[in-house]
Amino acid sequence: MTRPTLAIVTLGGCDGCLMSIVDGHEALVELLSVVDIVSSPLDASHRPLPESVDIVLIEGAVTTEEDRAHLLEARTAAKTLVALGSCATYGGVGGMRNLVADDAEAAVYGASASRPQIASFVEAPALVVDVDVEIPGCSPSPERTHAALQALLGGTELAEGRRNLCHECAREKVDLLDHSAEFVSDAVVALMELEEIDAKRCLLEQGLLCMGPMTREGCGAACTSVNVPCRGCGGPSRRDFEQGAKAVDALASVLPAGALMHMEDLTGTAYRYALPSSLFPAMTTADDEEVRRD
Amino acid sequence: MPLGIFASRCAGRIDSAVDLDEALRGVSEQAAVVRVFEDLFAPGVAARIITDIENEGLDAVALVGPSADHWTRSVSAHHLRDTIEAAGVNHNRIATANLLEQVALVHPDDRQAATAKAASLINVAAIRATRAGTVEASGSTPLRTVLVLGVTSEALVASQRLLQLGFEVTLADRGDGSVTATNRRDLRATGAWVLDHPSATFIDRAEMLDGDGWLGDFRVKLATPDGVVEKHVGGILLARPDQTEWVSELRAHFRVDVDDDGRARSLDPVRHPAETIDPGIMVVPLRGQDAIERERVAAADAAAMAILLRLSSDEVTHSHDVSSIDETLCGGCASCVRTCAFGACYIDAETGLSHVEERRCRACGKCVVSCPVGARDLLSAPHDVMVASVHELAAAEVDGPKVIGFLCGGCGYPAADAAAEDIVERGSGYPASFLPLRIPCGGRLDAIYVLEAFRAGFDGVSVYRCREGHCHNLIGNLDMDRRINLLRTVLRARGIDDARLRIVDISSAEGDVFLKSLDEMFELVGGHVPSSATQGATVVPLTSPEPASSAAAAGGDAS
Repeated sequence: MTRPTLAIVTLGGCDGCLMSIVDGHEALVELLSVVDIVSSPLDASHRPLPESVDIVLIEGAVTTEEDRAHLLEARTAAKTLVALGSCATYGGVGGMRNLVADDAEAAVYGASASRPQIASFVEAPALVVDVDVEIPGCSPSPERTHAALQALLGGTELAEGRRNLCHECAREKVDLLDHSAEFVSDAVVALMELEEIDAKRCLLEQGLLCMGPMTREGCGAACTSVNVPCRGCGGPSRRDFEQGAKAVDALASVLPAGALMHMEDLTGTAYRYALPSSLFPAMTTADDEEVRRD
Repeated sequence: MPLGIFASRCAGRIDSAVDLDEALRGVSEQAAVVRVFEDLFAPGVAARIITDIENEGLDAVALVGPSADHWTRSVSAHHLRDTIEAAGVNHNRIATANLLEQVALVHPDDRQAATAKAASLINVAAIRATRAGTVEASGSTPLRTVLVLGVTSEALVASQRLLQLGFEVTLADRGDGSVTATNRRDLRATGAWVLDHPSATFIDRAEMLDGDGWLGDFRVKLATPDGVVEKHVGGILLARPDQTEWVSELRAHFRVDVDDDGRARSLDPVRHPAETIDPGIMVVPLRGQDAIERERVAAADAAAMAILLRLSSDEVTHSHDVSSIDETLCGGCASCVRTCAFGACYIDAETGLSHVEERRCRACGKCVVSCPVGARDLLSAPHDVMVASVHELAAAEVDGPKVIGFLCGGCGYPAADAAAEDIVERGSGYPASFLPLRIPCGGRLDAIYVLEAFRAGFDGVSVYRCREGHCHNLIGNLDMDRRINLLRTVLRARGIDDARLRIVDISSAEGDVFLKSLDEMFELVGGHVPSSATQGATVVPLTSPEPASSAAAAGGDAS
């Protein structure tokens, strides 16, 4: 019996999701024993993507025309196309450049550098082509990535929850459990500004802007369990729910709005991972109506 | 889902400005029945509608013509709705399209645009009727017991009437009501009669601690010098609408309107002087200090009659328009718990998931908006229906810059109705490219709806909210403010001019404020390229359509 084939295609990203495959250690060895990796940036021989592959993992966002071409090739070749990580699923961190409109390229690289043609805005691969499986996270943990691959290879259902991170977070809520017109904290503080972090208490109640409520579960509350507020890399729980807009909706009655506006870059925080999947994926200008998501 | 559209010409008033048959053309493709009546409240109409429901197996109905408020406030209109429900159409699948006060009367001079706007509002009603889920209704025999708050002359007269008819009455007073009942100048004998009646209970120096439930089945906890007393009553009569302690304690649990001085207000001082927006709560219309005895007795009679009409029936139906929960999505973040002004949401200690205590839920939708995962929805104004309605309105075939008005049912919506009278007086309408969408409370406005509106091509978004201290849901307006202010930073960061999003403070009778808000908004959006956001200083000269200029002219008059 031939072994299933697997390929990895990287688009515009940081390759961090590839690291989550490599960091699987024993799981990686196991994976290599059941699949044939036919094309991958991890493979020094740089074999091109074959015409047909059982599973193609895509990592990164569409940031250049070259990315788009690779993505379309991957879709054509793949029996099962997997969006690995938040860039592939929602557009990811790189999507923040969509807030700087067309001049991002010149602003960053100047006029002379030789480089690939950068697209005017970043797109989420999962919105450009149909993907079969989404594994959000920046990057998804090795355990999550390998569990998803094993489920795919074994033909079993991928058990990914659609609740928010609070469901996985063990921190205790006190003030949030009481209805009130008051905010749960007088101020919004940065982690380093806290003299002491209560290791058991909900981070929102300590005045930290935690994206947990607006973020899809699946990471096992990796950050909040080590006293770091959720940054929202799991993306929204529903495709049609803007993570950032829901942050506005949910946080407005929890954290002081004035402080949120002045002390935190709300847009930068709330749209950090999923701006290209939002209702206005890029800066709107009078002549680029097509930027708006259909 | 067979849909029936029943439209009223409102005795010719719709036809004067709208080509009703043309407006109904689009929706007729999806409706099983489209029937136009000269007037919906004429003899034989109800029977005709019932026949259609039965013959066609209709399970969704859109009533086209009068304002949505008419359907809740007029006895005859309410009766027609009840009849439709009794014929098997779910309460939540009966929608209304306000073609009278918000189209025909306010666009007397632009038949084509008024007709297009009417078509759009009819489509929105069709969306609501066909896509909203059903709500459960439960019937129960109303308790024939009444809690009267404040021992006044009116309270005693009303109590006497109720006691005579076999009701049990509890009279609670902030002071010593049982003493003052018999030592006042007027109505001494009535006071003594009530005091001696075996079914009357007086509770002095009382405060309201807690309350829940609805018409026919309220539970109220009172703090008294002798401890906490719990009363289970069918109705509540507020005899001291001016006593702000009672009013604010009531408002912490039930929906009661207040005026500028914080006094409880009835639905309508002329037609419904004793009724409030909560069908189980009545007020004694305020009388001046110098009111003569006859006036006091008349006010008490009106209140007693209002209670009697509600509580003397064998069965009252309560529709559970509550916020629903999808337990597969809820992660227990408690955003809903924090935001609910009535304390109706709680996190179940065992499951860690959110629950709604239905007896406390007033269906304002604040929890739905605050829920970041979409585990919540408001049955009476579902998320998907709201989004679809925004897009439907954006597609209205009207010229000129488009503005969507999110109208809070407590203030902006009735104010828009009130504006119809001003328009009739001044003779010229406002731009038909203002497209209204009713929301149950300012707190129901999701940031997503504003973004969807801009995305769908609206040039301006107006949000109407109750003045401070006036929200039925206590802080729906405050929460909305907080959200909108946060949203502004997000809009600016994304190149969307946040000046095109306006909040209007308004109260229900302020038609003039409503019209002024339109003048200001159209003056602003008239200068923008339709359906696009601005970037940098793209100033486009006023290209503008007549509606905007007429609005500007009206603005001149107003200022």
